[in-house]
Amino acid sequence: MMRTIEVLLVIVIITGASIIASFFAFLPQPQQVSPINLRRLALTTLEMLDSDHDLSQTVFTALNDPSWGQLQTALSASLPPNIVYNLTVYDASTGGTQLYSMVNSISNAQSLGISSDVATYLVASSNATFNSTPEKIGEHGGGGTLYILNCSDSNGWWITGYTAQTLAQDLYNLLSPYFQVTIMVQNTTQLGQILNGTKISASPYENITSAVVVNTNGEAVPIPSGFYATAGYDTVHSSYAKYSFMLGNATNYYNWTWVSIVGYPLYYVSNTGLFPNNQNGWGIYGMMGVGASGLNAFLEGLNKSSYSYDDTWITNDSDHVPGLANVWLSSEASYYCNYYGIYPSPYQTATRALPVSILNKYNLTVTSYILQQVGTWLPGAFYKHVDPNSGAFSGAFLALGLARTPDIRLTALGLLCSYKPRLFPSQYGASGTSRLVVLQLGQVGGV
Amino acid sequence: MTGATIDHIVSLTVLLGAILLFVSLFNQTIQTAILYQSHRNLATKCSDLLDNMLLNPGSPLDSANTTFWGTTNSIPTTFGLQDPEFTQYALSPFSLMRLNYSSANPLYYPMTKMYYSNLTVGFGKSLLVPFNEVVNYSTVAGLLGINGTYGFSLTITPILTVSISRASDTPLNLIVSVTGNGYPLANANVSYCLVNVTGQAQYPSYNITSGTGVTNSQGQAFLSFSGFDGTNTSYAIIAYARSSGLVGAGDYEHIFYNNNYPIPYPVPLIADFSNGSVLLANSADFPYGGNNQTIAYNATFVLLAQDFTLREMPLSNRTGNISPGAYSNIVVPTNNTGILAITYNNSGIVLMPWGVSSMSFPVVFGANPLAKDWVATDTRLVTVGGVSYQAKLALWSLQGYQVVS
Repeated sequence: MMRTIEVLLVIVIITGASIIASFFAFLPQPQQVSPINLRRLALTTLEMLDSDHDLSQTVFTALNDPSWGQLQTALSASLPPNIVYNLTVYDASTGGTQLYSMVNSISNAQSLGISSDVATYLVASSNATFNSTPEKIGEHGGGGTLYILNCSDSNGWWITGYTAQTLAQDLYNLLSPYFQVTIMVQNTTQLGQILNGTKISASPYENITSAVVVNTNGEAVPIPSGFYATAGYDTVHSSYAKYSFMLGNATNYYNWTWVSIVGYPLYYVSNTGLFPNNQNGWGIYGMMGVGASGLNAFLEGLNKSSYSYDDTWITNDSDHVPGLANVWLSSEASYYCNYYGIYPSPYQTATRALPVSILNKYNLTVTSYILQQVGTWLPGAFYKHVDPNSGAFSGAFLALGLARTPDIRLTALGLLCSYKPRLFPSQYGASGTSRLVVLQLGQVGGV
Repeated sequence: MTGATIDHIVSLTVLLGAILLFVSLFNQTIQTAILYQSHRNLATKCSDLLDNMLLNPGSPLDSANTTFWGTTNSIPTTFGLQDPEFTQYALSPFSLMRLNYSSANPLYYPMTKMYYSNLTVGFGKSLLVPFNEVVNYSTVAGLLGINGTYGFSLTITPILTVSISRASDTPLNLIVSVTGNGYPLANANVSYCLVNVTGQAQYPSYNITSGTGVTNSQGQAFLSFSGFDGTNTSYAIIAYARSSGLVGAGDYEHIFYNNNYPIPYPVPLIADFSNGSVLLANSADFPYGGNNQTIAYNATFVLLAQDFTLREMPLSNRTGNISPGAYSNIVVPTNNTGILAITYNNSGIVLMPWGVSSMSFPVVFGANPLAKDWVATDTRLVTVGGVSYQAKLALWSLQGYQVVS
């Protein structure tokens, strides 16, 4: 008898457990079993209504404007019949105690059912202007100085239609907001000073180490007279290739980023005082030809190799690689076009594309592709030198092997792609210029 | 001793019975919970998969569209329907053209010995794509990583209905009605393009008239063409309506027969996406396509501009004859959306959209969800070539739910 009583007790306990479990383990409502993603539906509805800026215009109109009625009709016409909505518009204010104040609300139901979800959409008035504040390269330490070669005593080549000075000014306008300090190197003497490690401005932000040096002279590079003209001259081969080697060494030593904006890098050296009677064969005086050996020597210097004269032509063009006739911006560069608002032509012609083989030969790695690679050729890329011993980066090289005439926006885009300074938007909360549209959707009926 | 034994037997029997009862009770609850989780998982998968399709353009892809799978003949290596020139939920009208439509039977054309994916919405309004250039369901399922695990059906339908009807023939008065979900859209801007056959020498000639209108409170716009005899003239009209961000398209054709027997008509067949090549076949080569008679045609392409007006774009080889058993070839030299209009034999006009959105063609792609155990659906509103569409994905599991037989 006792056993039976015990079993009955156990049954009572299990029954109790079952009732308690059933109390907590209730089944969901039918709509929740297989829910429609109402948040996404709401967001896509708002995006579609604003695809031609109609929503942005409507929410800034007076409440008695007929466009509100059209908006309500559009909502009813576009949403599935079993979806009910409530659209509320708020004005985003910066003053006062209330951040958002309601402007208008339209709905097609008193209740949105047992479950609902919302999407928000910020629209701007057509007469609003927004500012953004760029992050400064180097503000978190290291570098932050942009040197633009604006040397008055040197000439450029392969920059047809421009002078180095006009390109330097354009580059200044494009890039100076992103650097701690931007310094125009006004003559070859100043270039010699920074090569010696001497600052050339009174700015406390000037930092020779980890600076960016942009050569706006195209295929020519300014050369200071004196030491660099003497030590940079290879007397055996009667060439200034050794100067390019010294530039490569300096790029490595100071961890510079050396930027070649167009054509074959370092093909000439230029100093109107040093070479007053020499011209490049095309009537540009103050120039001395270096040829292909300039770039080879620069890369040797960047790689801290010993100097050896090598005049092998290493670039290629569309005559030999048809794909180089139209080279396209990389996906990364295309993305940053929108981010920074710089829109060069999406395709270019490469006549001086560098070979992939330089990567292994000179311990380089591509950290940003500005233009898409074509086979084994690199029309435009940002290279960093990797120290084979320590694995650390020491010096960088941005080369755009494009045909003349140069588009200086590509240079700016290439540098921004590589350094990626952030943009901080501001003034989004300006009174009367922004309105927040909240669309809440609910589902009625069964599944 | 006997009493204790009986006590044990009774108690053990009752306990075993109670345990069986409770196990079955809990089992029912657990089954329901597992089913609930399976269905919820399916709904989540459906939402993810729909976004996956709509928010990436697929590949191959490049900035110039020279290798973009939607505008070439290549089979995609990753699947997506987004327009590569836009962000968010804007779909490419050309990628949608390359899908193997599941809503109609394929069409066989004996001259090319090929089957064509068939998207026909009425007489003279069709989109026929050869099977060797369409992307079929199994390919897409494989690219999405759901081959053998989930089945799906993607339906992309226009949100607005733009219907055109005749109010009178002489002079021609047309009524354009704009509705969405049955709601009439008042104050909608309507732009239209009327193509009418004006006569025939060696080849038919045509005239194009464009204009605009606004819908009234009933969502109707009245278009009047004074001096136009709609009784004895063949014409086609294409209209676009815009209101509060919604855009829709509609068309109407009046085919004039001056014979008592079926007249063959040109059937446009896409031949090559990459160069815009279109074959014009003689309908007599298809079942019930009319008598064996040579067709004289005059083709034109009307380009859909960003403001939804249509502008004529000249074609090379725009005129010609199509005998039964032969076909002509014309080239649409653009990657912009528009409509290929082909007038023929002074008796009619056939239309083919270049990009599904220019004529608001609906697209149904995938398997049939009928008789499936449980189908999850999710919906997004999208634009295709600027025209408003609703994209709905139906998804079901092909692996069963394990807890029920």
